Order: sequence, then structure tokens, then C-alpha cells
Amino acid sequence: MMSIWEVLDRAETGQYMDERDFDLKIVAKRCKELVKEHDIKFNPSEIITTDDSMADDVFEAGMKLALDTGIYCISTKRIIKFNEEEIKEGMETAPREVIVGEGRDARVLYARGIEDARRPIICGGQAGATIPEEWYVPMAMSYMKEPLIDMINHGGIAIVEGRKVRTHSPLEIQATRRELSMLREAAARSGRPGIGLIAGESSVSALGDLAIASERYMRTCDSHLVALLNELKTDYDRLSKAVNFTEYGAYNVTLVDPIIGGYAGGPEGVAICFIASFLLGRLLYKSEYHICHPIHFRYVSTSAVECMWNLNIVGQAMARNAKFIIMGDVWTSAGAGSEMIFYEIAANTITNVVTGTHPLGVSATNGKYPHASGLETKFMAEIAIASTKLNRRNANEIVVNLAKKYKDRMSNPDIGKPFPELYDVRKVVPKSEWMELYRRMKEEIGEIIGLW
Amino acid sequence: MSESIFNELAQCVIDGNEEKARIIAKRIIEMGLDPLKAINDGLMKGMRQVGEDFSNLKIYLPEVMMAAEAMKAALSILEPKILEKKIMEERRKVVIGTVQGDIHDIGKNIVALLLKANGFEVYDLGRDVPIDEFIKRAEEVKADIIAASTLLSTSMPYMEDLIKMLEERGLRDKYIVMVGGGPVTREWAKSIGADGYGEDGDEAVRVAKELLKVRGK
Repeated sequence: MMSIWEVLDRAETGQYMDERDFDLKIVAKRCKELVKEHDIKFNPSEIITTDDSMADDVFEAGMKLALDTGIYCISTKRIIKFNEEEIKEGMETAPREVIVGEGRDARVLYARGIEDARRPIICGGQAGATIPEEWYVPMAMSYMKEPLIDMINHGGIAIVEGRKVRTHSPLEIQATRRELSMLREAAARSGRPGIGLIAGESSVSALGDLAIASERYMRTCDSHLVALLNELKTDYDRLSKAVNFTEYGAYNVTLVDPIIGGYAGGPEGVAICFIASFLLGRLLYKSEYHICHPIHFRYVSTSAVECMWNLNIVGQAMARNAKFIIMGDVWTSAGAGSEMIFYEIAANTITNVVTGTHPLGVSATNGKYPHASGLETKFMAEIAIASTKLNRRNANEIVVNLAKKYKDRMSNPDIGKPFPELYDVRKVVPKSEWMELYRRMKEEIGEIIGLW
Repeated sequence: MSESIFNELAQCVIDGNEEKARIIAKRIIEMGLDPLKAINDGLMKGMRQVGEDFSNLKIYLPEVMMAAEAMKAALSILEPKILEKKIMEERRKVVIGTVQGDIHDIGKNIVALLLKANGFEVYDLGRDVPIDEFIKRAEEVKADIIAASTLLSTSMPYMEDLIKMLEERGLRDKYIVMVGGGPVTREWAKSIGADGYGEDGDEAVRVAKELLKVRGK
């Protein structure tokens, strides 16, 4: 596979283009054309489809989009293009499994298939959120103490030692190092020192990321996210992160989060954009694995019906044609401490597991408030493990019914309660009220889905 | 007669047909029709429809952007012909941008387009905008509203800096300051002394209108 050096060369020598032209005349135009050409249709009553030919069509269209667009580098205003041979080489060399974490906490993260009966890897934490420094360790421990949770992707910190962290300021370095120190402390205190981390969330620019490439903070068995910017774009901050970790030896993970309603269009265009992003992200960032995170333009949440359809079709398209390791995000509108969050978690998680991705979450309130804890992520793990018994047809029926329970409340969700109101922070155990709600909802949803 | 050509102009906006919008606008002027009426009953009517369709996910961001381009093309022909300049000057002005350190701009673009669809004159400063640039531009265009967006929690402090800088320079009361974006919450907006917050584009437009009304603008 081509080197990162070649990628950087192309960022400097590729075709010059105005960014707006790339957005509208290339990405938007081609997505629209390809949806029509391949007759791809979103059907809200088939959130999980059994139509294999549509999955293959989405993949084929995504491959065409990848070849036509390439990746736009905002820093140089040039397009980094890849040819078919290079993309196919990226597919062939993509790892089918990687080992995350170390020692007895190490896990094999693998490329899932459709209706895969193997136990999925559970990645827990309130990814994407800003967590107060004073609760960070106990909150991270609340996930690590759950034995069903295999690896961690928790939020970042935006205030360090009472000082607000501003993007590109030196405090970004301290915040990111503090985040890693606290994660490692939480892991040790939870008796899981080797648990695999996806971290460095406090590093918005490349600054913090560069500062944690050391065994003291981020080990080579850990991972960081390198986002593709919306849509099919990158910049020197993202490329710096990829270069740094490629040389350091830890895992690069492409975060792909196209917006439904954005430049790629509706759910159908976004599905195609996802495939192109995964194929190109593999070459651009040398990614070992990938995150699938559709964003709803209004609700954000991956539990929105359109987003779950995307997780489904993209997961299946990749599982049938490219066999990448993919984690599917579980981002809910509701917060921990609410009833609503359980329905969202169940629907989103079943969709992911049955259609070829490992669940990553729960990012409650879409990461807006620190209203999250390990307990609802334990529920996500239980649902995920139970979902391995489902086929797509049964899963669809369940997911459509679960979505009816919350979809009309997404614009005004119950945001629940902050972590210290849900857990005894000193003992890091759920408070009785939260535990009772979890038990009740587990039983109620268990009856609806018939999984335990 | 005038109603049908104004509807045709509205349709050009809905279709995002920049070239046809320009042709129709020229025809309206040649026919001696009121350009202000053409803007209100043609262009704005079309943009209102576009805004509504986008909110209901019937159309997507590229279509909204093309509609805005069509409106801009027709406006460039109609505006210079308006005799009642004062009325045009009364259109409310918004200076909008993604704050310093942040290069995410889709959310901001959506809000800017929806504001345009609702009759605001929008000055979009783009992304990674230093706070003094917001103020400089607002002063230049005599803006009513300064709207700042971010997707990054570590760029949120720049919004606070913006308000502080307005206070330091004795300009705070001159502008309505609105904030929004992924990590920004209603409570946080209030805590930094912002006047308004929008959870999404629709709310941002509604709040902007309400705040202008409250201030008697």
C-alpha cells in the first residue's frame, strides 16, 4: 500500500479546486447522480434490509464516488486522488483483525459479517462528550468496571486545572495528556490496566495528539480517531495526526460522520459517501479500523431512523465487499437516567450488531451533557451479545417497533441526569434509583424483543 | 400578470436555477413592475418554501445553496432598481461565522441559509473566524445580530471572549449576540451572557426574529 509520504505529496501537487466547487459540483452532484443510477432507496419500514443486491449497489456506487472525488485537502486546496488499483490494494491489505489493549485485557477486534454469531467487541464510554475533570476518573471507571465492556472510548476534557482549553492553545497539550493519565489511572484502579483505549479526544487540533505518542500516555496497542471532514475532506491537522501515529505505531481509526441532509444529500447519498470515505480513509490515514457515524441534520443521534438505515446498509455493503473492521456508533438523544435512552440503545445496537459493526457508545445526549454512565453501556453490551441470535428479518421487526417508542420524542428528549446523580462517585457503583430503572427497562425491553 | 411572473421567479429559486432567475428578474424590470414586490412575492416566497422543504428533509443542503445563489443573481438585478431604498435598508443584518480554531462549517452554513430564506441580509464570514473579525465586520455593515457557531467544545471559550470584547469596547448593547453548535447548550449560552441560542437552524431563525421584536427593531 502506498506510503503516507505519497499521500502528503499528492496533497501538495493534486488538482487545485475551489472548496465550494468540490462540495457542490463534485460531491453533491456525483452523490445525486449515483443514487439515481443505482436506484438506491431508503425505506423507513426496512431499517434493516435483507436486500443483498442493494448493499452491493451501494458499494459499487461508493467505489465510483471514491474514484471520481478523491479527498479534498482544505489546507492546500488540492485534491488527493487515488486510482482503482490503489483503492483495491487498500481493501486487500486492510486488517481483518487487530489486537487492542494488552495482557489479559487484550481483545481481538475483527471484521464482523452480516448476522455474525460471534460475540461483538463492546467499546464503552461517552465518546465525543466533554467530561468535567473532577469526575473524569470515576466516570471512566464506571465503564471499566463492567466486565462486558472490552475497550474504552471516553470523552475529552475542556477545562484543565480550572483553565478553559482553547483550540490550538498550549492548554490542548495539557488537557490531552491529563485525559490519558486519568484513563490509565482509571484502568489501573478498575483492575483492568491493559484495557484498550480509543483516546486523545481532548486534542481537537494535532497539538494534543502529538504530545501523547509515548508509552506513558498512549500505548501502541491503543487507538486514536482521525476524522474525515464533511464530506470527503481533510486538512493538515488531520494528516499530522495520521503521520504521527503511523510512525509511532499505534492504531489510526478513520472517523466517518457524513451528515444526512448535507452535501451528500439524503440517507441514500450519505450511504454512498460512507463507502467512498472508508475506502479513501484507509489509504489516506493508513487506518486499521473505522467508525461509522451517520449524523442526522436535526437530531444528530445515530438512533434516528435514517441513521440506523445508514448503519445497516453501509455495514452490509462493507461486510459483503470489503471486510473492514468497523465500529458503529450508538449516540442517543436521551440521557442516562431516562427511560427513553434504553429504547434508543436497543434499536441502535441491534442494527449495528446484525449488520456487521461492533457497537461503540453510549454517547448519551449526543455528547452534549455528561449525563452518562457505565450502566446504560452495560445494557448496550447485553443487547449486543443477545443480538447475535437474530437474523435480519427478525431484527428489523424489533428495531422498527422500538423506534416507534422514541422517534417522536427526539426533538425534545429526556436528557436524564449528570453522572454524580446516577452513581455513588466514591464507590463507583450505580445509585439504587438508577439501578432499579435499568432493571425495569431491561425486563420491559426484554419482553418486547424476546432476547432473554 | 405580475403574480404569475413573481411565481415564476419563486420557482426559479426553488429550482436553484440561477440563469433563469436572472432572465426573469430582467423581464420584471422591463415590464415596469415593482422590484420590491418581486423580491417579497417572488424571491422571498421561493426561499421560504426552500427553507420549509429543507426543514422537512424533502431537499438537502446543495439544493438550498443553489436556491440562495439563484436568489442572489436575481437580487443583483432587482435591488439597484428599487426606488424606496429605505425599505431595503430595513432588512435585518446578521454577521455570522464559525469561531476561531474551528473549521466545521456545515451547521453554520445551514443557519446562514435559513436566515436568508427568512429575509435576513447575511454576512457569512466563513470558518475559523477571529473574534475581532466578527466585531469589525458587524461595525462595517451596521449589523443587528452577531451569530457565532462552533462544533468544538474547545472553541466555545472564544464565544465568551467575543462577548467580553464587545463589553470592553463599549459595543455590547449595540448587537444581539446569538450562539449555537454541537456542544453549545442553552444553559451555557445564558451563562456567558449571550442573548440567544438555537438548538437547530429553525430555532435560530425563530429566536433571531423574537429578539429583534423585543428590542423594537
